[in-house]
Amino acid sequence: MSTLVTLPVLLPILGAALSVIFVRQATLQRLIGIVVLVAVCVVAAVLLVAADRTGPVVVELGGWPAPVGIVLVADRLSALLLLISTVVTLAVLVYAIDQRISDYGRDTASTTFHPIFLLLSTGVSLAYLTGDLFSLFVAFEIMLAASYVLITRRTNAERIRSGMTYVIISLTSSLLFLTTIALVYASTGTVNLADLAGRVAALPPGLRTLLSMLTIVTFGIKAAMVPLHFWLPDSYPNAPAPVTALFAGLLTKVGIYALLRTQTLIFPGDGPSAVLLVLAVLTMVVGALGALAQNDLNRLLSFLLVSHIGFMLFGLAVDDARGAAGTALYIVHHITVQATLFLVSGLITRRTGTVSIDQMGGLARRSPVLAVLFAVPALTLAGIPPTSGFVAKLALLQAGAAGTVGTVVVAGFVVLASLLTLWAVVRVWIRVFWGADKEPLPDDDPHDELVIGTSKTSAPMYVASAALVAVSIAIAAAAGPLSAVTERAGADLIARVPYLEAVLG
Amino acid sequence: MLALVVAHLVVAALLPLVSRRSRRAAFGVAAVLPAATLVWGLANLPAVLGPGPAPSETHVWASALHLEFGFRLDALGVVMIVLVGGLGALILAYSAWYFGKDSRDAPRNSALLLAFAGAMLGLVLADDLLTLYLFWELTSIASFLLVGQGGLHRANRRAAVQALLVTVMGGLAMLLGIVIVGESAGTYRISEIVAAAQQGAGPAGGLAATGIVLILIGALTKSAQFPFHPWLPGAMAAPTPVSAYLHAASMVKAGVVLVGRLSPAFADRSYWWVPIAVLGLVTMLVGGWRALHETDLKRLLAFGTVSQLGFLMVLFGSGDRIGEIAALTMLLAHGLFKAPLFMVVGIVDKVTGTREVGALSGLGRRLPGLAAAATLAAASMAGIPFLLGFLGKEAAFEAFVHDGDWVLALGLLLGSIFTVAYSARFLWGAFATKAGVEATEPRPVVPGLSVPTWIAAFTGLVLGCVPPLTDALARNYAAAYPAEDAVAADYHLALWHGLSLPLLFSAVALIVGATLHLQRARVTGLHTALRHPLSAQRGYEVTVGGIERFAVWVTGRIQAGSLPVYLGVLLLTVLVLPGLALVFGGTLPATVPGYGSLMQLPLGLVIVACAAALTRVRRRFTAVLLVGAIGYAIGGLFVVDGGPDLALAQFLVETLTMVAFVFVLRRLPAHFDAGPRVGRGIQLRKAALATVAGVFVAVAAVVLSGARQEPPAVSGEFVARAPEAGADNVIAAILVDFRALDTVGEITVLLIAAAGTASLVLATRHDKKGKSGRVESGGGTPEHEEEIAG
Amino acid sequence: MTATPEQKIPFEQWDAPSGEWTLPGACPVRTNRTLLLEAATRFLFPVVLVFSVYLLIVGHYAPGGGFQGGLTAGLAFVLRYIAGGGSEGVEIGSRLRLRPPVLMGTGLLLAMITAFAPVLVGRPVLSSAKVSFLGVEVVSSLLLDVGVYLLIIGVVLDLLRSLGSGIERDAEAGQGERP
Repeated sequence: MSTLVTLPVLLPILGAALSVIFVRQATLQRLIGIVVLVAVCVVAAVLLVAADRTGPVVVELGGWPAPVGIVLVADRLSALLLLISTVVTLAVLVYAIDQRISDYGRDTASTTFHPIFLLLSTGVSLAYLTGDLFSLFVAFEIMLAASYVLITRRTNAERIRSGMTYVIISLTSSLLFLTTIALVYASTGTVNLADLAGRVAALPPGLRTLLSMLTIVTFGIKAAMVPLHFWLPDSYPNAPAPVTALFAGLLTKVGIYALLRTQTLIFPGDGPSAVLLVLAVLTMVVGALGALAQNDLNRLLSFLLVSHIGFMLFGLAVDDARGAAGTALYIVHHITVQATLFLVSGLITRRTGTVSIDQMGGLARRSPVLAVLFAVPALTLAGIPPTSGFVAKLALLQAGAAGTVGTVVVAGFVVLASLLTLWAVVRVWIRVFWGADKEPLPDDDPHDELVIGTSKTSAPMYVASAALVAVSIAIAAAAGPLSAVTERAGADLIARVPYLEAVLG
Repeated sequence: MLALVVAHLVVAALLPLVSRRSRRAAFGVAAVLPAATLVWGLANLPAVLGPGPAPSETHVWASALHLEFGFRLDALGVVMIVLVGGLGALILAYSAWYFGKDSRDAPRNSALLLAFAGAMLGLVLADDLLTLYLFWELTSIASFLLVGQGGLHRANRRAAVQALLVTVMGGLAMLLGIVIVGESAGTYRISEIVAAAQQGAGPAGGLAATGIVLILIGALTKSAQFPFHPWLPGAMAAPTPVSAYLHAASMVKAGVVLVGRLSPAFADRSYWWVPIAVLGLVTMLVGGWRALHETDLKRLLAFGTVSQLGFLMVLFGSGDRIGEIAALTMLLAHGLFKAPLFMVVGIVDKVTGTREVGALSGLGRRLPGLAAAATLAAASMAGIPFLLGFLGKEAAFEAFVHDGDWVLALGLLLGSIFTVAYSARFLWGAFATKAGVEATEPRPVVPGLSVPTWIAAFTGLVLGCVPPLTDALARNYAAAYPAEDAVAADYHLALWHGLSLPLLFSAVALIVGATLHLQRARVTGLHTALRHPLSAQRGYEVTVGGIERFAVWVTGRIQAGSLPVYLGVLLLTVLVLPGLALVFGGTLPATVPGYGSLMQLPLGLVIVACAAALTRVRRRFTAVLLVGAIGYAIGGLFVVDGGPDLALAQFLVETLTMVAFVFVLRRLPAHFDAGPRVGRGIQLRKAALATVAGVFVAVAAVVLSGARQEPPAVSGEFVARAPEAGADNVIAAILVDFRALDTVGEITVLLIAAAGTASLVLATRHDKKGKSGRVESGGGTPEHEEEIAG
Repeated sequence: MTATPEQKIPFEQWDAPSGEWTLPGACPVRTNRTLLLEAATRFLFPVVLVFSVYLLIVGHYAPGGGFQGGLTAGLAFVLRYIAGGGSEGVEIGSRLRLRPPVLMGTGLLLAMITAFAPVLVGRPVLSSAKVSFLGVEVVSSLLLDVGVYLLIIGVVLDLLRSLGSGIERDAEAGQGERP
């Protein structure tokens, strides 16, 4: 069983290695990518069941016990997020293959796309599973390096320029992360998360706050927390739809996961809830207002992404088992729905030839399927019942309502941000799907199949998007067992004992 | 009950298939389920009115979140089923002829109307606050789509958005309120909350009060109470059957129903009944007053609905036995008279092509049947005896007169006067022969339109003549409220209560109302004289516009689009959050050694000097050399500290980096881009920020190193276990054994970097500037493919 | 590159050298040759390569290892490249026609094999053991180091290929321009 825990990390690397070696066999590359991700999905599902039944599954790599070697830990939270992330990654891969950004035409393979896509998945898996702060850094490096390539790949100078904002901010955040690790090691002498839990507790409170703040800022950049969010709306919208979908779905959530893990495990209780509450409010409001001010569909969705990061920060700030559980549930919901929206946005922009919602119109009549594919995730994001967004938001609100006056007030902002979200998606709806028909804009760059400007869409792109819509409906339908798991996961996070015992014995 | 609701939604989803065959048949199929619901509801009447517990059922959805479908059928539910199911079936039948055979709107409307009926049914049966909320929002979405229609017209779009924003705003406030109340009560079950509250164990405290008020906001917005009411007249942009069903008979009642469900628990709390009474009364008066001046028959009815909803709100919020009897009666009566009135407007619109009061004349003579139905319904609205409306209004006056609540009693009287006046105005406007207006020539009315109208109007008459039918339901519902004395306990709906004050009130309302209608020219003059710029609609527009402008302003300020600004904010955040923590929580260790080994001093000096010089150089190549020098010096520090492996790697990497830089530099200008001149102040600020950030990291390092309590957990272990790993060299053991995973991870990063560089460099090589000046990607060209795959 | 590799070679001459293995071959840029560097490179290149292998193997006992070894070997190729040019893409490495991405992939594959191999004998993933190989005691994790070594060489070659591509073309195009 414990060997299984390594597979989500190592299988994609193996797949990437083979993919690089068989660089000329496009079909083989696609096959490798899909097989590997399906396998990881299965493994993640098995891990989730195992972790839920018998407690965290731990593997000591190389057989070295915890503080000496690196441990990978699949507890309820990490296994659950791993599962949903891989499912989304798989759907995005199918979409990407069909959009033909994965290669150069049907028969020519690319050295970069498939290996790097798989390695991105490795980074995400490792970030979820690792029980070691430095390993987490490595995971982030893999993830970010892969994302730099994907965001600037097969592109032109204009897009590279906007990608540069992302790269430079991310590098800065990596630098900050490294500094943080150095400072943590300097004061405690260990980088194992479980070991840190005990050693940080022995530090004076002021220094604990210092380290906690450092991690909040470090991971806050990855999570696009206001005021560290500006890179996101400036860079994501320019990447091809599947790439943006993957980034929006996974990368920011990995930041939130890292925050959740470190704040609950290493800085429990003494956590700066007030600071996080304020940051959560800022993130929700600034993001939602940003979305209202946009005319570019992808930028609008990016701002909504920022806004909903605030929801997850809120659950974290509540700092109890229900808050943690709510955040976990919200992450699961949001990974799916945000990725779906970007994929659908890709379909919309391909069909209309523009990203400007003012230049679209009447799409509901011309393409009812697209209207449904947009409406369902849009309502889900706005948290209209009975979607998964409602269930997840309810979990957060319940956590907030049972907390202090402060958390109740912030719960009010959650509700406000939901309203603004709905407003934003309704604006998209009335401009894009209602109104007079507008002719698709001519394709001004036929070579460029990446972002917009071609009406070529095919069934698998729709199927992949629809599959993700189905996943988010399934999340709502399975809200019972799912919320039970996240509740237990939240309790585990706050209790800490299961994790510590599993790792340190 | 869930099965019934789900059946509605499933059939609605399949309805487009029927529409493809025949659009009329689709409405016919759609009407079956609401009719079945009505039958089901009436069949359950004995169980509801009997002594046993009301029929209920529960389906758990997510127990961890208290999320379940809880349903219960009580008297209020039965009345609403008459409106939702009974009127629903009639209106769907009416729609089959309203939207012609080939209407493109028909398929959408049949499916959405049926889906709405399902959601509304779930809402009225819900005995669980979360279940109620779920269906509540679904009706809002259905309303949005039904008002917007195909979204072709600006009026539809605006009205749909306004209705959605206002009701969802209330709905979300309500959700928060529900969660607060549910958490403090420990249950979301309405019947349990009510039972607990009646035993004095309801949710208490300031938080719970906030929650209750938030729930109330939801109810007020959904039932179009002042100042949220303008969305309802706006929603008249929808087709008339939609208005009749959603915006008269059923959906707008949701707020009133919610108040009716919760009043048994909260009616004695001032923060519950005061806003309800005040806003309800104001709504009744404002709506009635506005209705007196509308020239569009549909808008006239819409303001009439607003007014009546205010009336219902006051009654349901009263918490008084008689008042609640009146409330339930009026709820039923309003549905039964307002829906047919809307249907009449729809017919008039259909056969004459207009709904303007000023354009219609002599219609009463040409369409006597329709006029009779309209008169029946309007008479019920005005509260004329033998009609259901009269019974309700009598009871309402009795309730407040009996309590000596004169403010409310007189307020309702004024409202009723307006009601009588606009009822008369409606009949006059639609059917009267007007001097100076050419008689309207209507097309014939098909029975498909008139029969449902007649059925609805006639039901009001039957129920009005046979009070015990309604009385049983109303008394059953009102039994949940305490009766203050024997009169209240024994009150029954009846046509004749003897000569009493309420009867006088009714008479006054009729007489004064009629007079008001006859004096309409003066009333309109008064209305014009009172014209002022303040209105609730304007308030909505200013708010929405303001938020949109604010959003643009905020985003423009924050999203500067400049990398230096972003980096500056990032550093500033580091300084504010962890920086302040350091200032307030850190203590410098007692002794800080200046250096560990003497060689560190010159190396450190080199690093500092090169770093300082870097900020001033203008030539790229020099900058690269300086960076290299820093790297080598750091390698030197590794040597001094006894890490030859690290040093070796550092030197090699540094060398390779320099080579890579040289390759890259040949493509770049020799000097850094001067860019626009930045002021000295900005430069100084940047320098200060960078310096402070650097100092912060240095101080944090010193403070945190000094705070270490015990030796590193792993260093000793690494040395002790290295031979176990088969290595004399500890570093090697760490790299390939203890932390082999990190090594694997880092080499994948290198692979990514190399592949990424190749993709980036080779991809951009083939880019061309197009004719338009736009850069065209060369990514798809054959040369590029060859190169990248090589 | 003088000889075209696609040329049919008679069976009897299968082992005949098809060209000078270490030489960069014909230099397309005939001006600006630095003969001294070229000559030194002929000598240094094999020596440095051997040294890199030494670093790789000695890693477990003294300073060195796969990373350092790989970088050293990579620098050897850099030297050769700078000295001789000869340059468009793939030929830089050698006559082996081994594409840099494949080299990287092989290195990574090797690392993965080392990671998973212990599982086959029931040991934890990524664990190592001492294996007696032809009388020499070798730690199995050396294989991981070899993977790292190959990958790093691949990375350096790939960087040379991409960053250095078109260097002559650029030089010709930009005659007289100084960077």
